[in-house]
Amino acid sequence: MTAALRYEWRRLTTLHSTWWITGAAIAVSAGFTFVVAMLIRLNIPSELKGSVDKDDSRFFLEAGMTQFSNVDPVFYLIAFAIAILGILSWGHEYRHGMIRATLTAVPNRTAVWSAKFITVGAWVAAAVLVACVLSLACTLLWFASLDFEYDWAELGLSILQRMVYTVLLTWLVMAVTELIRHQTFALVLLYLWPLGVETLLRAMLLIFGIFNPGISDSARFLPFNAGGRIIQDFGLTNGYESNSGLFDNPLSPLGALIIFGGMTAVLMAGSLYSFKTRDA
Amino acid sequence: MAVIQARGLGKAYKGKTAVNNLSFDVRPGTVTGFLGPNGSGKSTTMRLMLGLDNGHGTCTFDGHPFASYDVPMQHVGALLEAKPFHPTRTARNHLRMIAAPNSIPDTRVDEVLGMVGLADVANKEPGTFSLGMGQRLGLAAALLGNPHTLILDEPANGLDPQGIRWMRDLLKSLASEGRSVFVSSHLLSEMALMADELVVIGRGRMIANGPVEDFTRQSSANHIKVRTPQAHDLAALIGQRLAGQGSVKAVTPGELSVVGLTADDIGDMAFDNQIRLHELSTIQASLEDAFLELTGGSEEYQAQNPVPHRPQAPAFGGPQPGPPQGSYGQPPQGQYGQQPPYAGQPGQQQPYAGQQQPPVYGQPGQQPGQWAQPPQQTPPPQQAPRDGGDDQSGDRA
Repeated sequence: MTAALRYEWRRLTTLHSTWWITGAAIAVSAGFTFVVAMLIRLNIPSELKGSVDKDDSRFFLEAGMTQFSNVDPVFYLIAFAIAILGILSWGHEYRHGMIRATLTAVPNRTAVWSAKFITVGAWVAAAVLVACVLSLACTLLWFASLDFEYDWAELGLSILQRMVYTVLLTWLVMAVTELIRHQTFALVLLYLWPLGVETLLRAMLLIFGIFNPGISDSARFLPFNAGGRIIQDFGLTNGYESNSGLFDNPLSPLGALIIFGGMTAVLMAGSLYSFKTRDA
Repeated sequence: MAVIQARGLGKAYKGKTAVNNLSFDVRPGTVTGFLGPNGSGKSTTMRLMLGLDNGHGTCTFDGHPFASYDVPMQHVGALLEAKPFHPTRTARNHLRMIAAPNSIPDTRVDEVLGMVGLADVANKEPGTFSLGMGQRLGLAAALLGNPHTLILDEPANGLDPQGIRWMRDLLKSLASEGRSVFVSSHLLSEMALMADELVVIGRGRMIANGPVEDFTRQSSANHIKVRTPQAHDLAALIGQRLAGQGSVKAVTPGELSVVGLTADDIGDMAFDNQIRLHELSTIQASLEDAFLELTGGSEEYQAQNPVPHRPQAPAFGGPQPGPPQGSYGQPPQGQYGQQPPYAGQPGQQQPYAGQQQPPVYGQPGQQPGQWAQPPQQTPPPQQAPRDGGDDQSGDRA
């Protein structure tokens, strides 16, 4: 297994695309926060003074740190950008005929598969952490005049949730890429499904919900809608949303983790089986 | 040193057999050529040997399956793709990546880059490499672990003549150190110079396996060329002597091609019967002759060629259309004109009267040197004849 990890680490770090995708994802995340915070600061300089209560501090710091991804239905930008690394990790193997070189260097397929998911997962998690820290620094830079009430445990949990969400999203697209063995199609799916197909389904369920009360609520079980609830805890209309049950509407973070993580686990299991049984 | 032992390798794609029960050995200290027409299953076989494809059978390297080695590249080096690298990862990093899990130091990376002549472009991205440079990089990867066994799929593809010669010398040198080298190639002339042993397959089946000399020796392309102004008389004598165990054919009115007798036999016969000879020479079959003869009809993909009109060879008594004439010995007999006479198809009628089925040896379960039957193939309908296949239209026996 360590041999496979060494191979995968060297594979990941010797590609230009790894660095520029990671760098771009972090720069866009922190840059987005920097620009938004700067615009707020420059437009309402007189109001950004004094102390901020606990709930507002939590919202603003979390929103600044995570590019408003705590608000339902905003997507977490960096996750969708850096998950491309997951697609490329399998896509390059098949697009450039690398898989045979890989398996002659490390013949243990389970080790190769595991090392890929572990290494890329750790990489994107680290990137999320860096992006969050930089974004928080940008937020504090422009809102230095405000006296926030810091809840570091809450902020830490918020970062952890995004790391988990991003790793799951990356693993999911990795599994899909291995299954379909088509890099371009996997890239299209990464954006088309959550941004297009699920949004459309959600709209349809909303319409049908007019005639059949309760149906629209089932949209919360759509995989990417559920995945988003791992990190979203603030509604545009209701503010902070509390959950009475695991799978109630809206989904609790744990319920969302079970649904999104479960689907990811199923796809990963399928990809492992596929990788072990199909010809290289 | 390691021996490769392949036993019962088999693979089918959607019910179509690609590799059928192949068994062979590759001995240390030899370069073993792996020959077969396009689509015959060579690459699939190599992937099966390394466990890259799922199929039947086993393959061991020094008694162990490839996948059982902790540092496989220190035991087996493989080149299976023409350009097996990411186009933007530098050549050096590509090798460092492969070296990392195999406990190979970076110094060895630089060493093999120098060995294959890529030291100057070590830090260049291989996306712009020519096919030949790509092959060199692939070969460098195969050599990285200084393995006792090499499996190379068409390594000469894209190499220039100097590169081909370099590769030949390198592989022979590696074999002379006691390593096992298993290499496929379409360059038969190159294989003739390089290989000590051959594994020949057609449509996934074993056709031949053994030393190159044995392979060419058994070819019906080996014959005696006789030029004499008394060809008719000599041919009749030879035909009587052969009694079905060979053939004599008129190539031109004054030239005979004889299979089944030695030059000494024919010379003595001519002397005893006061027949004047202008030339008596032994013609050795080339590897290409033997290969085309044995794999005729085994091509997976065959070109649709128009059948050219060939002039009939002048037979004794002048050109004669219709049934073959002018050949001596036992029927089926015939004569042919300018076409290559040895493009035989296994299982089909051979150009020489009384000739036996081309011998094949090395089938699974047999000892090296034993001959087995080649695959009986029925040419697909609507397909043009292959090499010299238009001979079937009547101008060959």
